[in-house]
Amino acid sequence: MEVHALYGDALALGLASGPACLAACGPVLVPSLLTGQAGFLPNLRTIAIFLGTRLLGYLLFALVAWQLGALSSMLIKPHPQLIGLVYVLMAGVLAWYGYAVRRNCAGNCSTSKLVTIGATVDASGGARQGIAGVAMLGFLTGLNFCPPFVVAGIRAAELGSLSGALLFFAVFFAGTSVWFVPIAGLGCVVRNQALITVARMTMALVAVYYLALGLYMLLGR
Amino acid sequence: MAANVHPWPLTGPVQRGVGRSILLTLPIVLWSLLMFGRPGAHDDLKTGLAGGITALFMIALFFMMMRTGTTYRWRRWFFVSVGVLFPIGFIHQIMVTRGTMGIPIEEMIAGRTPFCFLPTPLLILPAALTRTIIFPGSILPGKGMAGGGIAAMIGIWLAITLVIGKGWCSYACFFGGIEEGVAAIPKRAKIRNIDPRWHYLPWAVLLAMVLLSLALFEPAYCMWLCPFKAVSEYVAARNTVGLIQNAIFIVLFAALVIVLPFLTKKRTQCSFLCPFGAFQSLFNKISVFDVRIDREKCHTCVLCQNACPNMPLTKESIAKGEALMSCMKCGACVDVCARHAVSWHIKGTDVGLKPERARLMFLYGAWAMAMMFGGSIIAQGLATIIGAFA
Repeated sequence: MEVHALYGDALALGLASGPACLAACGPVLVPSLLTGQAGFLPNLRTIAIFLGTRLLGYLLFALVAWQLGALSSMLIKPHPQLIGLVYVLMAGVLAWYGYAVRRNCAGNCSTSKLVTIGATVDASGGARQGIAGVAMLGFLTGLNFCPPFVVAGIRAAELGSLSGALLFFAVFFAGTSVWFVPIAGLGCVVRNQALITVARMTMALVAVYYLALGLYMLLGR
Repeated sequence: MAANVHPWPLTGPVQRGVGRSILLTLPIVLWSLLMFGRPGAHDDLKTGLAGGITALFMIALFFMMMRTGTTYRWRRWFFVSVGVLFPIGFIHQIMVTRGTMGIPIEEMIAGRTPFCFLPTPLLILPAALTRTIIFPGSILPGKGMAGGGIAAMIGIWLAITLVIGKGWCSYACFFGGIEEGVAAIPKRAKIRNIDPRWHYLPWAVLLAMVLLSLALFEPAYCMWLCPFKAVSEYVAARNTVGLIQNAIFIVLFAALVIVLPFLTKKRTQCSFLCPFGAFQSLFNKISVFDVRIDREKCHTCVLCQNACPNMPLTKESIAKGEALMSCMKCGACVDVCARHAVSWHIKGTDVGLKPERARLMFLYGAWAMAMMFGGSIIAQGLATIIGAFA
């Protein structure tokens, strides 16, 4: 198969699978966006961070699985303990994020920055370091097995080279990402204390669900 | 002393004479004849008797609303009756049809799971994105317990909702009656100071369930959080997950429908969990009826806030002269206000302008719907009881 046809396949697969990817990421991404800043561009930036680290998660998984020579087998019969661990981690990050975000906004809810995990505040009380919560969530979502990811992974595993497989993944990913752009429109929703509280509570509920699912997978059925 | 003298007198609700009350009840009598008295409406003597009792019950309650000028306590009789009789009729029907309260997986695969209105908001996004209904029921009338099907239920819901908005939760929902009945038992609430932030929880449950339903492609609320599975039909517990699901249903039912309503005198499931109620609140924005507070008459005694079985009245909302969008239009606040500061209102008209006319217009619509939907549930439950003794 010619190269451009192959990556055309990847793009088409990504475009076709986009709604499923969006649905799989929705419980994590939507409340995160609602606790963030208003406006289309800030939301687009948050989505870009989320998607960027999700791609990183995809590629890292593909890389490791390829090196182990088990990309196809890991996708077809994934280890529930591994997925369970990812779910538990995701629940932890989500719960932390929900707890930390805009905790003390006191009505001034339009200026908060990205919540960071493991943040430290320097002596002047200004600079914050650590990993952005959205980035962490994106990465963990990338390590997860959503159905389109499995389909793309199996297709990529058929390719002869690692670089080809990674590029296939990346193009597939670009196709799915198109579907995420419209949800930056959530930036148009007015941020107020009620919405922030609802979004934080939603994160907690989703975290409980992922925790239960993760523990169920870790401990065996 | 002069500062304490209020210009508006403390009076009770305006009462009507018997003749005028009968006259105002006539449309409901005619509607009940159409619903329960038309030829062919009943299969046998048992259902005929149940229909007759239901019609008389509904007419009597409406008459008392007209006679006394109050709404809440008469509506509560109806609502609690629906809440108590629904499980009786429904469980009897599923036991006759399938022999168990558990939903067998075969029934789900065959699309014969009965559809209630609660998962309606969970179906919208999956249907829009994938043209798939993520509920294992039948869209059109089906066999077994599928009944009238999903389309019929959504049609009824839409018709009622467009008229009375979140009044659905006080006049049509067949789940809220149990907790309203339990909340009516104690004279005083043992828990009074409830953090107003809990009021946001149904919205969070709605958002979480909508997103998880889309991600999992199953109605997540029905699978994990619905307390009323405990008194309707449960997941057939064939494995650990099934057992956990049923345990969650029972714990939520016991806590939110029995214990907390008793302690708080509030409909706690509706106030703090129900995602459908939150969804329904959105339709209060388009409903023409609402409850308003005349600030000139209001003395901020917060009797209305305490009487409300939900939490749409806060000091801030009272100061603004309106209830929040989660108002269920049950009428408790209007009845309790001796200064007539709280009144029924038609949007676009002046506050306090002919409030009784607004109440009548709302009640005719709400009671007609209540008789059609809740009345048939009462009749079915009564027929089951009569059948058990016959």
